[in-house]
Amino acid sequence: MALFIAKRLGAALLLVIGTVLVAFLLTAVLPGDAATARLGERAAADPAIVAAMRESMGLDRPLYEQFAIYLGNLFQGDLGQSVQTSRAVLTDLQLFGPASAELALTATIIAVVVGGGLGIIAALRANRPIDNVLRAVSLGGVSVPIFWLALIATAIFSTQLRWFPSSGRLDAGAIPPPRVTGFYTIDSLLAGNLPLFAEAVGHLILPAIVLSAPMVGLLMRFTRASVLDVLGQEYIRAAEAKGLSGPSVVFGHVLRGALVPVITVVGTAFASLLAGTVLVEQIFAWPGIGSYAYRAASTLDLSAIVGVTIFVALIYILVNLATDILYGIIDPRIRRA
Amino acid sequence: MKRSARLVGAAAVTAAAALVFSACSAPADDADAPAVESLVIDKSFDLVTADPARMFETTGGIVLHAVYDSLLTFADGNAEEPLPSVASEWEVNADATEYTFTIRDGITFSDGTPLTAADVVYSLDRVKNIQGNGSFLLDGLSVASPDESTVVITSETPNTAVPAIVTSPTLGIVNSALVTENGGTDAEGAADSDTAEAFLNETSAGSGPYMLESFDTTTETVLVANPEYWGEAPVYDRVVLRNTTAEAQLMDIQSGTAHVALDLGSDQIAGLSGDTIVSTSSSPTIFFLFANANSGVSEITSSPDFREAVKYGLDYDGILELAGEGAERAYGIVPSSYLGALGADGATERDVERATAAAAKLGPNPTINLEYASDFSSNGLSMGPFAERIAAQLAEVGITVNLTPGPIATTLESYRAGTEQMGLWLWNPDYPDSADYLAFGPGEIVGLRAGWAAGSDPELEAVMAEVSTETDAATREELYQEFQKLHNEAGVIIPLFQPAASVVSTSAVGEVLYDPVFSLDIAAIGR
Repeated sequence: MALFIAKRLGAALLLVIGTVLVAFLLTAVLPGDAATARLGERAAADPAIVAAMRESMGLDRPLYEQFAIYLGNLFQGDLGQSVQTSRAVLTDLQLFGPASAELALTATIIAVVVGGGLGIIAALRANRPIDNVLRAVSLGGVSVPIFWLALIATAIFSTQLRWFPSSGRLDAGAIPPPRVTGFYTIDSLLAGNLPLFAEAVGHLILPAIVLSAPMVGLLMRFTRASVLDVLGQEYIRAAEAKGLSGPSVVFGHVLRGALVPVITVVGTAFASLLAGTVLVEQIFAWPGIGSYAYRAASTLDLSAIVGVTIFVALIYILVNLATDILYGIIDPRIRRA
Repeated sequence: MKRSARLVGAAAVTAAAALVFSACSAPADDADAPAVESLVIDKSFDLVTADPARMFETTGGIVLHAVYDSLLTFADGNAEEPLPSVASEWEVNADATEYTFTIRDGITFSDGTPLTAADVVYSLDRVKNIQGNGSFLLDGLSVASPDESTVVITSETPNTAVPAIVTSPTLGIVNSALVTENGGTDAEGAADSDTAEAFLNETSAGSGPYMLESFDTTTETVLVANPEYWGEAPVYDRVVLRNTTAEAQLMDIQSGTAHVALDLGSDQIAGLSGDTIVSTSSSPTIFFLFANANSGVSEITSSPDFREAVKYGLDYDGILELAGEGAERAYGIVPSSYLGALGADGATERDVERATAAAAKLGPNPTINLEYASDFSSNGLSMGPFAERIAAQLAEVGITVNLTPGPIATTLESYRAGTEQMGLWLWNPDYPDSADYLAFGPGEIVGLRAGWAAGSDPELEAVMAEVSTETDAATREELYQEFQKLHNEAGVIIPLFQPAASVVSTSAVGEVLYDPVFSLDIAAIGR
């Protein structure tokens, strides 16, 4: 197992270095001048001001030198400074990362519970009316554009019914809980501040449900197929023939067998949720990595763009690594392969 | 097997129901509560810094106008007459080269330090020497303080715009001792040696009605009332300015999550219902089209025939219609509320026959590219629909317009480099004075982007030279009108319209007016 993990870690490290190189080069050759993008109409027409800005951003050096400096700083944990926030990119990632992670994780939990649960029901009731209904629902979940769903959900649940706030992680101007994990729900509980916890949950639910919708549909279909596949296996019939009770068969045998492919889907979907929250974060004014990346791209904030790219790549790599390891634990045949 | 299915099914349904239940039981906003504890303003941020010397953006102006006092100010949406602020009075010499300001007694910064003339000189010199976005405001100006309560601004050439210029939040007065203590300097070379920005992004060093509680360029910025403020105290003790898209603003204002929304377009406003008040006025922003006069960029757009075809081929009312209710046609490049603005008299109207004849002289099927920013909107308006309509109108007179939209980061670069054949852009005033619009003349900043080099139009340039040194208001008014008539005749840059500026507020807050200088005067809300 140790060798298996070591191999996977080695491959992950190579992948990170490759990602940094590609992200840096692609960003550097983007059209547009990052220095003048920061400057106003009059200042951009003044060569002295433009030169000073280029120098302060390090853009006056040759590209290879910029890359060497960047790599050198990176190894010291320095991702450069963001032009839009005037803070270190690493600090920004620490500030905005947990907001996205909290949202993506909640969406994943909702998707696993709802999608997985409904997938199991659909499989156990295969080809009956409830299965047909659930399959139609899952198709809807996968096909509905997320921005549309977000706007409809906000219009109904925020504007009309006023059940949930429409934006932010807390009410406007509320003071966040003392930072421990960066997850407002957990941190407010740790601080023993129940009203703030309720506020954080209230703000989290609507964007999380919207974000989870496509994944609910996907997981429902996937779980259904996986459970159906396992139900047809000989060992299930053998277990039933031995006289084991229904729940024992389902929880002890069927789910364990169906789990491996579902874990892959959950892992990859979580990573893609984290990377792809841009739309949902924009609509719900959620101060996460998605909003940060959107602004970075529109203001040519190079350090921030590269920083976010590396961050997202790392998440993908770590999630894949975790998935591989989980695979190995659940099915020992995989790590021996 | 059937029993197990029921159990698992029940578990899944229970889990889903629990989620829905927990969702429904979340705390709801009390829509009926009349009192507003914290005033919440939704704005799409272009916030970069809270350091006045480095700030020159709309959102930054809104925040810093509330935090830093300037020598003079404007109030109640009136952009014509500068009013006393830190300077209780001022005098100007006959040729408008020397302005003497008397500093008001009894003003203290938020930490209790008295504000003196030395702070004013420090603040303005720091802006100049930091060489930032707003340094141009002090081009040709020098500042001195002969005594503790007098500031003298001297201009190399007659400059009637100085009173308007010193109202800028960029020229807000900072506590010089505090800023110096935290890395600031007003000396030459401040561009490299001044390191006070990080401090000023955390702590305000001003004497305005508000102080910074927290400052974030991406999420929200919170202001609290300054207990040391020398003027009339603001109504709201705490103001939260949140970064939200126009779509989110619509939801927030309808759900009562926000009290003021600044970026709603006329379509969104039309769909508003219930407890909201809409205040609409004309913005001084000018949307304009230009045809590059540099033959190196385009033989076609640089031709006078092309300019004539465009000038008479455009249906200005058709374009204005797209801008929505409250927008008004720009008859000249100077906005309607400024000195010397042109009226409807002599306005160019569409003449398809004349335009078609001019286009025919360009040869068979003249084709040009029209560039615009596709990811940018102002006053709720995006450039795309206008570009499409312009292309359709010019197609009717025989000109093919290829639309070439792009992200603003890249289109801005080609616009500033003067390489666009045709461009669709807008201009927000740097300071509320007609002098700012001389930038649209040949050899000036916008003129150059339209390929209009100095010396291209001697008659027009003579008027520009004359008006920039003229001190008599009536003569200046005539000269600005003359400048615009000649500008319209040349047809290189075609002013299109001034959009409507709308502020939407909830009834708990009352009507909130758009401010033509600061966009929003936070301290005036509720008064």
